Amino acid sequence: MERRLIILLLLFVVLTGNAQEREHFTLFTDRDLYTSGEPILFKVFTSANERSGIVHIDLINSKGKMISGISKKITDYEADGYVELPDSLSSGFYLLSSSTKTNPTVTFKELYICNRFTGLPEANTALRSSDSDQLDEKPTDLIEIDGLQKEYKTRGKASFTLHLPAEMLGRITQDLFVSIAEVTPAYNSKTFFKRTTPKIDQIIEKEGVILEGTARDARTGEPFKNGIIYLSVPDTLPRFKYYITRSDGRFNFQLNNYYGKIPVVIQGYDRAEKRPLKITLDNRDSLRSEAPVSESWTIPVDLRKNAANNIDVVNFRKLFNHQELNIAKPTKRQPDPYPFYGVPAEVIVPKLFIDLPDFTEIARELMPGVKFSAYNRIPTMQVFSPAHYGYFKNRPLVLLDGIPVRDLNAIKNMGSKEISRIEVCHTERYYGYLSFPGVVAIYSTKPDFTRLLPADDLIKLNLETLQPEVILNSPDEQQTNEMDLRKVLLWKPNVKPGPTITVDFKPSDVRGNFRLIVRGKTKEGTFFYKEQFFEVN
Amino acid sequence: MINRVASSITLLFLLIAPCLSAQDELPVNPNAELIKGTAFISYPNYWGSPWLSGNFLTGEIEFTDGTKVGNIGLRYSSYRDELIYYNTYLQAQIIIDKISLKGFSYTDENGVKRIFRYQHYNNLMGGDRYFEILSDGEISILAYRKVDLEAGDLANVKRGMEYHHSYYFYVYSANKGYSPININRKSLLSKFSPSKQKLVRRTLRKNRVLISDEASFVLAWNLLKDNGITIDF
Repeated sequence: MERRLIILLLLFVVLTGNAQEREHFTLFTDRDLYTSGEPILFKVFTSANERSGIVHIDLINSKGKMISGISKKITDYEADGYVELPDSLSSGFYLLSSSTKTNPTVTFKELYICNRFTGLPEANTALRSSDSDQLDEKPTDLIEIDGLQKEYKTRGKASFTLHLPAEMLGRITQDLFVSIAEVTPAYNSKTFFKRTTPKIDQIIEKEGVILEGTARDARTGEPFKNGIIYLSVPDTLPRFKYYITRSDGRFNFQLNNYYGKIPVVIQGYDRAEKRPLKITLDNRDSLRSEAPVSESWTIPVDLRKNAANNIDVVNFRKLFNHQELNIAKPTKRQPDPYPFYGVPAEVIVPKLFIDLPDFTEIARELMPGVKFSAYNRIPTMQVFSPAHYGYFKNRPLVLLDGIPVRDLNAIKNMGSKEISRIEVCHTERYYGYLSFPGVVAIYSTKPDFTRLLPADDLIKLNLETLQPEVILNSPDEQQTNEMDLRKVLLWKPNVKPGPTITVDFKPSDVRGNFRLIVRGKTKEGTFFYKEQFFEVN
Repeated sequence: MINRVASSITLLFLLIAPCLSAQDELPVNPNAELIKGTAFISYPNYWGSPWLSGNFLTGEIEFTDGTKVGNIGLRYSSYRDELIYYNTYLQAQIIIDKISLKGFSYTDENGVKRIFRYQHYNNLMGGDRYFEILSDGEISILAYRKVDLEAGDLANVKRGMEYHHSYYFYVYSANKGYSPININRKSLLSKFSPSKQKLVRRTLRKNRVLISDEASFVLAWNLLKDNGITIDF
């Protein structure tokens, strides 16, 4: 009997237990000390069994509050990009976190950021994270750096060669990451990990970010089942998605291959049109737990000097609008072959006709087969269906610049001057599990979406989707008669390993100590680096 | 004995527990939410059939972006060159937007998989059409399953009209376009140069392939392709 119980217990453990492997990302930045208004360049290596295709990089303050964040696509278990530091950041320690929706481990990199207007605080101490579960990175002697001198003149030309023996090449997995940046001798930041509990039933982000939220009954606050949630992305050809909420009121949209900031409108409604809905979107909580423990730390004098110098440099660069980074234009999505509401049967351009003051007049004079009336402040609309030899009983899908309009008061005052064109579909249209008795799509002359007022069931936002590719600007692209105040001389996050790698760089007008660092990952999952210092004077 | 039963039940429960998950209420087929189209209006009732298949058959559609939606009820209208899909949730027959599709396939009543491709026809009366792929490759054999509404025998046919099959067959390659072909031995031979025709005849004779219908024609075509005998196209 006892033996049976032991077997059962073992079976239970095997079936329910999760592997407790330490699979984490490793996050590197170009520097440790920053000034507000600057970009942080980062590089992330993910584990080989990372399921997510998107990594989230967030800036978190010492109290655990997220300041800003970006999402980046993981390619070959690597990602690199930048996080722009807001000008308003107060001076102090911050954390840069890297996380995915599915990985239980969050990686943090500690950074010191100075406000470029107020400088460092007068107090000599600052609260610094005291977590001890730090990244284990080992120096290597196998990589040889050849040709890097100990001193360089400002604005000189320089190059170096990396020699990697065959023994080393056989051990390396993924790309090497090479950077040269000014060093802050008085401060070494920490990289550490925190194990968290990801939400149950997380959807894996593969090709883009996922927008999630909950729909509730606006009166009772209870999660709303089978509510319809629309997501509209206004564009030349508007995009549209919908979701039918689950029993817990949850909904999600996968925004695959969207890059940069995109305007998004989310609307929710009850299919039976009986109860109003309130929709809320999830905030990204990369910390997923309490803020890391902090300890008091005395700010060294050298750090103050470096910070003051940094502030001058950043202010100068801002004044002369020196762009540190060259951001690639987001990949243009292939336009759909036709609008989601179908190929229109009629296209009406009101400006080709006499000026009409409102939509009632436009419908009456220019839109045969569309009935619009605005009596008693409750406008109604119907579309004629030639197949049924009559008007549809229900209201058609009315779109304003690609966004569904539920309250027709938003369009009733639109005259010929406000409308660039109107497209009408007279057939009953189907979109998955939705059906629309005809479609009237209005395109305004100023598509600024101000006619749609935010409400409990309507959210307008500029959604930050995937960050496009970015490269460090080289001085060639800047004018030679201007000061070159780059603190990061080289940033090559994806260098293919080879026996010899030659790299050119140009020292800037900044005098000081710089560090060349080469980082990589072995097949066993450990990290190695080789560094060499030089001075620019 | 009781202990054994109890431990067996516990073991069964433990084995099942990790597999259990909440049942989703909607949608019925999550991929079907991508399908866009218009309501189907019934065709007039004449003699003959406007359909290629009598009933809705389980099939798969492929969108232009490569996304596939399977396990849905499909029916091809030869009369209007339209693909009708039955939405079980809305209980509606929907004409899938042609422009959104790359192709579709279904298994017919005889268990044969029928594959259709949506492509442009650039000859006389050109346009975008669904072609059935009888043999695929660099050079394909395509069938355009057209049904015309024609005046029939007034004595026998309702309202004097009937749905009349008029299928067209083509040899197609992406570079050369379409070349019409008839389903007979003579037409097949005409696609080969005179020097190859003897070899074609011999190959068909050796393999005892007699071209009498569509199936035997495709069999002959595939046999010649496998033997490396290519047409002059």
